[in-house]
Amino acid sequence: MSITLRGVSKQFGAFAAVDDIDLDIPSGALLALLGPSGCGKTTLLRIIAGLETPERGQVFIDGRDATLWPIRDRKVGFVFQNYALFRHMSVFENVAFGLKVKARRERPAAADIRKKVQSLLDLVQLEWAGDRYPSQLSGGQKQRVALARALAVDPEVLLLDEPFGALDAQVRHELRRWLRRLHTELKFTSIFVTHDQQEAIEVADTIVVLNRGRIEQTGVPGEVYDLPQSAYVHRFLGQVNELRVQWRDGRAHLGPIDITGDPALNSYGSERIALIRPHEIDIGGEAAGWPAVVRDVRVIGPIVRLELCADGRPANEPLEAEVSRERFDAERFHIGQKVGVRFRRWQVYPADPAEHAFGATRVAEPVAVANGLVAPRTASGTSGG
Amino acid sequence: MEAPALIGDYDVPTARSLRERGPRQEIRWGRFLLIAVALAFVAAFLLLPLLVVFTQAFAKGAGAYLAAVSDPTAWAAIKLTLMVAAIAVPMNLVFGVVAAWTITKFQFRGKSALITLIDLPFAVSPVIAGLTFILLFGARGWFGVYLQAHDVRVVFAVPGIVLATLFVTFPFVARELIPVMQAQGKDDEETALSLGANGWQVFWHVTLPNIRWGLLYGVLLCNARAMGEFGAVSVVSGHIRGLTNTMPLHVEILYNEYNYAAAFAVASLLALLALLTLAGKSLMEWRQPELKHGTRRKGARTGK
Repeated sequence: MSITLRGVSKQFGAFAAVDDIDLDIPSGALLALLGPSGCGKTTLLRIIAGLETPERGQVFIDGRDATLWPIRDRKVGFVFQNYALFRHMSVFENVAFGLKVKARRERPAAADIRKKVQSLLDLVQLEWAGDRYPSQLSGGQKQRVALARALAVDPEVLLLDEPFGALDAQVRHELRRWLRRLHTELKFTSIFVTHDQQEAIEVADTIVVLNRGRIEQTGVPGEVYDLPQSAYVHRFLGQVNELRVQWRDGRAHLGPIDITGDPALNSYGSERIALIRPHEIDIGGEAAGWPAVVRDVRVIGPIVRLELCADGRPANEPLEAEVSRERFDAERFHIGQKVGVRFRRWQVYPADPAEHAFGATRVAEPVAVANGLVAPRTASGTSGG
Repeated sequence: MEAPALIGDYDVPTARSLRERGPRQEIRWGRFLLIAVALAFVAAFLLLPLLVVFTQAFAKGAGAYLAAVSDPTAWAAIKLTLMVAAIAVPMNLVFGVVAAWTITKFQFRGKSALITLIDLPFAVSPVIAGLTFILLFGARGWFGVYLQAHDVRVVFAVPGIVLATLFVTFPFVARELIPVMQAQGKDDEETALSLGANGWQVFWHVTLPNIRWGLLYGVLLCNARAMGEFGAVSVVSGHIRGLTNTMPLHVEILYNEYNYAAAFAVASLLALLALLTLAGKSLMEWRQPELKHGTRRKGARTGK
């Protein structure tokens, strides 16, 4: 089932929760609506579900205008952030609810309901829990009951509001993989809301980044991560180091590093910033780069995070760099060590976020590599989180 | 001063330990005092009167008590009281649920005004409530001529008493339900809708089980007030013995006739009804902790 949004807007008082959104969600997509709280992602999900009515714009389901359809007619399964299990019903009764409330002529026989519920409980690996009550289940189990309950009525779209928000990291990781498998197996359209970029990247096929009720960028996870079209998206998807571009003698610099040839510099006014992800920072010998002192070293499993106090940067704004464990083990970086910082890749944006009416900010090959300090920027760089 | 020396089992208080102990000591005394005041208040203003009611009721022996209670006019008052409660409580149950549902599940203009209006019967003196019904439905009231022309008696008759009781007890159910339903939010209902349930199914299978304890509590309070209401009912009833006298009114009449034993006998019945209501409420509160989690039926204790 495909979903199309055209010019959808929703106000809450003076606050535009969703502002003129166009979005095409093809059948079978696994799409993440990503953004911080208050960006309108949940409202958008509720509009798709039919739990909110947009003030302007239309919602099409399989090409038909469904803007005013009630949720019952939309064939959507909605899973709430807090699961919203019916506390007074057993797990079995919860899952069976959607089947039992069907009109008499559509309602399956009791034996069929039993069979279907049991198979759904098998699917979510809770075959033993039918007689339990929600209060006796853990968060992850409740979440799976909520999913089984939503799936019981054979929805064509599954809508999930922060589905893993309230779970601890281990369970979350497991459930993410499980949801992906389920999606591939059952082939419905899934849309989920999250504020966790990691989760969006890990689970979704398509990520829609929202900001103040508007779509900032849509794309596959790698593209959104590597080629953010605005500083907002860049910042939201992962860690960044932020440097102000300094002009000296008509040349642009990041610290001592000359980036004058960057074509992105020309498309904005004079105030620009460069965003650099921690893994895009390269650390070399003291002589080769921007002089810096290692201030902190954190080994986080396979990666090592270094805090670098670069010359001329305020002490409370250290650069954050990430190197692989292997590299770290080979080079033995330590606190107090003097090193040289180089940037493998960076991206330039206007300092004023209002000024991002531009199109040509995709990564371009760097032109000037001043002082041999800067390695060429790569369009497809390293991805991951 | 800083070096603590041992005296008996206690540290010599340093400035620091005094700081820590001082307030705690005060809290203990304060707690004791507050509990004592509360208990004394309850004893003096609740238990003592109740005791007096029952001792006075039996002051002239059980025979006099039975005679007073089985007197036809007393019996009529009891029946009228129960009937008024039987009409007013279910109606307010429905109104209260509808009002609470409307307020908590929908967004609309004038919502806060509606909440204020629901509280109005609590704010207005019952006597004034009764008088407004006289002004509306009395012989010289707004609808008086119309009602007389159609031979409908409201004031000084049972309908007036029911109306006054309805008005006075209106807030109980709604007031009890609004916070409960606000706390629960709309997620359960929206989930049920998304699963294809219609409005009635949502209410019956999802909302009602969620609010049933708040609802029962509200109904009990509503019932207690419906049976005990004096002021508003007194104004509209007309005090016709055997016809429009409820139990509280009957008690007053007997008392004014210096028939203390009979007055207290009927009063003791009324008090007994109130006590039964309270007992029912306590029973519910006692059972509620396990019910709060919805683990009421079998399997409730198996998992823990």
